[in-house]
Amino acid sequence: MTITKEIIERIEGEATLELEWKKDKISYAKIKFLNYRAIEDILKNKYLLDALMITPRVCGICSHAHVNATINAIENCYENSGVIINLTDKAKKIRELVMNAEKIQSHIKWFYFSILPELFKIKKEKFVLTEPFEDKEWFEAQNALKDIIKMGSIFSGQWPHGSYVMIGGVTCDPLQSDISNAQNFLSNVYEFCEERLFGCSINEFLEIDSVNNLLDSNSTLSIAVTNMREMEFNKIGKSYDRFISFGNYQNIDIPMKSIKTRPHKANIKFAEESLENSFFENKKSAFTYSKSAKYKNDFYEVGSLARLMISKDQLIRDCHRRCADSVISRIIARVKETAILLERSKYLLETIDINQKSLQTPKNIKKYITAEGMGVVEAARGTLIHRVHVKDGKIMHFDIIPPTVWNLGNGNPSNPSIAQKAIIGLDSIEKADFVFKSFDICSVCTTQ
Amino acid sequence: MPSLHSKKSIVWIQGITCNGDTHSFFNYPQMKNFAKNFEIIYHPLFITKYDLETILKSKDSYDYLIVEGSFTRVKKYINRRGHSFEEIIDNLSKKAQYIICAGSCASYGGIFMARDIKNISGALYSGEKMEGYWDKNKKVINIPGCPLHPKWLVDTLFALKQNKTVLLDEFLRPKEIYSYFVHHGCLRNEYFEWKIDTKNFGEKEGCLFYEQGCRGPMTHTNCNKILWNEVSSKTRAGSPCLGCTEPDFPRDNIYETKKHMSLPATPAGVSKRAYYSVTGIAKSFKIDRLEKKLI
Repeated sequence: MTITKEIIERIEGEATLELEWKKDKISYAKIKFLNYRAIEDILKNKYLLDALMITPRVCGICSHAHVNATINAIENCYENSGVIINLTDKAKKIRELVMNAEKIQSHIKWFYFSILPELFKIKKEKFVLTEPFEDKEWFEAQNALKDIIKMGSIFSGQWPHGSYVMIGGVTCDPLQSDISNAQNFLSNVYEFCEERLFGCSINEFLEIDSVNNLLDSNSTLSIAVTNMREMEFNKIGKSYDRFISFGNYQNIDIPMKSIKTRPHKANIKFAEESLENSFFENKKSAFTYSKSAKYKNDFYEVGSLARLMISKDQLIRDCHRRCADSVISRIIARVKETAILLERSKYLLETIDINQKSLQTPKNIKKYITAEGMGVVEAARGTLIHRVHVKDGKIMHFDIIPPTVWNLGNGNPSNPSIAQKAIIGLDSIEKADFVFKSFDICSVCTTQ
Repeated sequence: MPSLHSKKSIVWIQGITCNGDTHSFFNYPQMKNFAKNFEIIYHPLFITKYDLETILKSKDSYDYLIVEGSFTRVKKYINRRGHSFEEIIDNLSKKAQYIICAGSCASYGGIFMARDIKNISGALYSGEKMEGYWDKNKKVINIPGCPLHPKWLVDTLFALKQNKTVLLDEFLRPKEIYSYFVHHGCLRNEYFEWKIDTKNFGEKEGCLFYEQGCRGPMTHTNCNKILWNEVSSKTRAGSPCLGCTEPDFPRDNIYETKKHMSLPATPAGVSKRAYYSVTGIAKSFKIDRLEKKLI
């Protein structure tokens, strides 16, 4: 048996894959995250509301997912103390819209700045469409992600690291002209996605229910999928075919899991974080700062593919029939979700009633409370959970379970994690690197 | 004299970071023009001309080293391809003409300094004190902010490229940016003048300085002049300025204005006596227009 170490770069941070080889195939993989910033410790003894400033700084690409998970956890602390939190429809919609902007940005950035260049690096071809800082479509993609962020920033003040939420609502109080302005930016992003990424109108794209029809369109997505099929990427990156999500999205508002194509209700009380293999356990065998998240001791995949499998999306179901939970399914799912989020954002902008209150301060709210609370959101990469224990207004304990610890934790040889399982059996480092990246690694979230 | 049209080279590295400055940079509106003038020859997050090993081994110099994230000499705090931050920064800083500290972490230590205040800092500063990673380094320009605004970074790069003198303040921040206050251009200025605080978050009316902890009048930078993402700012979205460009960021208890004898701190450079006298007079007027909703 030989062991090789591969440092994975060009991700959000850095990770190391330690690969064990038997007969030219990977027999086991250890996923190491060696940088750790101790944010959960930094949060200790801080005033509860200060978490709204600190947690966005966990991650520069999903800061608004973190601030939303935190406000949900804080509001839950108050609810558990008997305070009634009543958000207006307007506040709920603005919170969601701003998060959508961040997710769409993340999906487009991942597809254009990471997946496409990495794909053509493996093919050893210069991919003329998306050479960074050179090609027309790369600039158009950068312009699109900048514009979708503008749509969100009208309400959040800025991105990254806006702090636009507060107990009982949102801090902004938009005018109708702000809504129109946001619609203009959204329209620009529609145009880019329709012309380039989808190759057809968004309505036509949303109606595509088979991978073959997807390939008919003259789109950058179909170019990527065609190339991946040529390289037989429909066969790599498969894991347990188990999916889970705990946050709200589209029409799903309860925790759900899916074993292959069969969705079931889930219960967040069975979501647990394991310290196995992590330095926090203080064992000699420890090798990483990342924890692992499991549901009833089983690993489940989170993210766009999980959400669309649970919500029975027809295109993703067809993709799953052909390619199961391979890298192709993961990539198509994120592009499909981009279209869904664009449509949802359009609806939100059309239906925000600016005459409603942005924020309703709950009655009998005390600053120095003692309580526990949990906040859950669906971030671009999957379910994000914040748990807080506050005593006399100060944080005693803050636990962050980011999406990446669901996908990229470590199990053991008899029960490998989602990403480990997807890597075991591959025959090259390049493929292992690409499969690993198909989960969109965010090491800063993983280890905080 | 180098041609104005020849590209300047940039190496971008990361200390202890959240990547927020990189993602903020990707919102730069004139990226094509940036790319005509500058080339990022190494960046850890995307495919670039060179990888880290090549850059470390090369003896060639380059123009700008951009550092994102806090500095440390502790090996276990940061590891990039098996190299400590110290190995990387000591090597690369010598080959750069200028060192640009992108964001508050690289400038002063920032939010991650709270983990180990003795061993995590900015390039030259640890908070307000000149007790950073280096005792001195004349190449350093600080562009603090959490995150930095992409225009602050690129405007500074263009000025350097054109051999213009970039005047710096006491914290080595470009004066063109940091001589302004967040307060300048804030849409709530009239409420500040007449000392009318906002009744609640989520309203257009009222000033956030008196109760909600806003640091706009004492935070050096031009957020409300150039706006964030070209459309808004924290205060325009009803959220108090957190003072993120200052060396004392992050402060505690941010959503509450600290008061002494029930009076808030004074805006930068204004004497307490003068400010409180003006406050008393301003408050004695009851201006109906400002007590009402704007619309």
